[in-house]
Amino acid sequence: MRIGLPSALVAPYYRTLWKTFFAELGHEPVESGATTKTVLDAGVRNAVPEICVPVKIFIGHYLKLVESGVDAVYVPRFVSIREWDTFCPKFLGLPDMIRHAFPEHETKILTHIVRSKSEDIATLANFLPLARKLGAKRFEAVRAIEIARRKWLEFRRLTLQGLTVERANKAVETGVVPEVPSHPIRIGVLGYVYNLYDRAVSLDIVKKIEEQGASVTTFEMIPEKQIEKHITKFYKPSFWTFTNKLLGAGYQLFEDPAIDGIIHVTAFGCGPDSMLGKLLDLDAPSYGKPFMTVRVDEHSGEGHLQTRVEAFVDMIRRKKRLTGEVA
Amino acid sequence: MKVGYPYMGTVIVYKKLLETLGHDVIETPRPTRQTIALGVKNSPEFACFPYKAIMGSYIELAKMGVEMIVTSGGRGPCRAGLYEQIHRKTLASLGYDIDVVNFDLYKKNWSYAMKNFAKARGNASLFRVFKAFVLVYDMIHALDRMEAIVETRRAYEKIPGSFTKLWNRINKTFDLEVRRLRDARRFEKVFTAELLALPVDEPPEDGRIRIGIVGEIYVVMESAINLNIEEVLNGLGCEVRRDLYLSHWVNDNLLPFLHRGHERQILAKSRKYMEIKIGGHENETIGHIIDYKEKGFDGIVHLMPFSCLPELITQSILPKISKDLDIPVLSLSLDEQTAIANQRTRIEAFVDLLRGRKKTAAAKG
Repeated sequence: MRIGLPSALVAPYYRTLWKTFFAELGHEPVESGATTKTVLDAGVRNAVPEICVPVKIFIGHYLKLVESGVDAVYVPRFVSIREWDTFCPKFLGLPDMIRHAFPEHETKILTHIVRSKSEDIATLANFLPLARKLGAKRFEAVRAIEIARRKWLEFRRLTLQGLTVERANKAVETGVVPEVPSHPIRIGVLGYVYNLYDRAVSLDIVKKIEEQGASVTTFEMIPEKQIEKHITKFYKPSFWTFTNKLLGAGYQLFEDPAIDGIIHVTAFGCGPDSMLGKLLDLDAPSYGKPFMTVRVDEHSGEGHLQTRVEAFVDMIRRKKRLTGEVA
Repeated sequence: MKVGYPYMGTVIVYKKLLETLGHDVIETPRPTRQTIALGVKNSPEFACFPYKAIMGSYIELAKMGVEMIVTSGGRGPCRAGLYEQIHRKTLASLGYDIDVVNFDLYKKNWSYAMKNFAKARGNASLFRVFKAFVLVYDMIHALDRMEAIVETRRAYEKIPGSFTKLWNRINKTFDLEVRRLRDARRFEKVFTAELLALPVDEPPEDGRIRIGIVGEIYVVMESAINLNIEEVLNGLGCEVRRDLYLSHWVNDNLLPFLHRGHERQILAKSRKYMEIKIGGHENETIGHIIDYKEKGFDGIVHLMPFSCLPELITQSILPKISKDLDIPVLSLSLDEQTAIANQRTRIEAFVDLLRGRKKTAAAKG
């Protein structure tokens, strides 16, 4: 069976896991690839106008896969990957939204509930129901999950070494681990994987920063323990898993003396981010670190982003030059 | 200590509760354009509308010298649960040292909830707290029962404004004169009789248009925010029901062990469209739409704040529900830029459509 994997939402984070799992069960995973103008337009046309860009993009990818004639499209229902946390309501209702928006191909949707206590979602409870839907036996499922899990842990190990999600995915696939870039200026970039690593949304902001001679630290490079430490300090952190990760990562970046400035990349209409951004914004002055919010949507201009990133890095460089840290 | 509360729905009951507990209560002014402008100025651009409106109310309260604000907090993975934290930080950054107390963590962080309870309780004895809750509980139910009469009969009033006038008088009386349980019951009897005695011009059964209002709790309950939608619909000759009254919220959220049945029934109806609970009032919204259809309502008005997370999912599913159930749904998304004339036109057109449908159905059968 050919199973379509929409390259949207949390796909950059879990695609190694999904791909290996489906391949091990003897199916052919088909990825929808990079977000193109056509994909984006199809998403915008078929979604409710107010919804956030990442969900519109997901719908675009979904439609592209259906049109390409795959046998099923994988639309997981991500509920929780940390105790007490859940995903944003849009993730919780995603299969329902797709199912009711396109009743004509309801049978093509392959869905299951993902609920686990840690971000390692490769458990039998999560994936056995999915494997059963595909007609696999229990022992086959156990084997496939274990192999997929090992691949994914390898991916996580690489990100913790300082590779971005994108590079770590490539390294796991090709087996060639690239060098971790290192520059005298280091900028923390906060953003969800589906914003940062989707070129149509972020316009490759990570590469733009690196071109300015600065290296980038993102949340996936910070060990879980350090993120947890900051989350538990809040008597009431947010409800949303990835928002919590960014919240913890944000405070870690604030405290880390190696970080010179922080850029928060957020998508138009993102609800959790409106709260997260305000929290960080209110606290940034007390840590004395430059903090910039970049809001992106389907109309973002490349030149405008380039100018803002350049100005931000230049400002930090000048500051460092005055103190003699950078020549 | 001077205490305030956010403005939503029948606010006199919050005031009554805090007063009975012995606090010096400052009455929150009804949100105006000014309040909202103040809130918008001090909120993140993409925060949801209730956040901004409540922010505005809090700043107004802060200017009036409030020292503590008591609020309910939110539930599920919706932004309302984070309001209080960010409101407090924003107020602090504006130079107001105000304690914002809320009660939504009792499952997760018991000691924190108890600490907040102690703050809200002040010096009142536990017996007094109990008495205050019983009184307020009764008041909420009495007021909601009367409001239901208003929302039905106001559509056919002979003297324009007579129902609204009486409703305002009821609120005022309950605010000032109800001290004990006995008062609440006595006044309910008197005013119910008065409401039923107001002259109306009731049409025959097939001439009635019934509209159910569903959606996010704040915009559904607060008339200052939702363009007075109930009165507007009543003015166009439609009977109105909401899916959310304060009494329902209290029953479902604070006393679930007593009233599980009602909520469960409604939630069971939504199961076909939503497999799991996703937070906010989304599942209730869908359940109530189905419930209204079963009760023979003619149309649904769905209200949500701009970019509301759970209601956006509802909005995506609405066309399917509307088609499946054959019931027209008007979805309005409200925020600080809502233009009254524009929304009024949409509402009028919607009511015309319902009348047309009713006539066609009557002619056919």
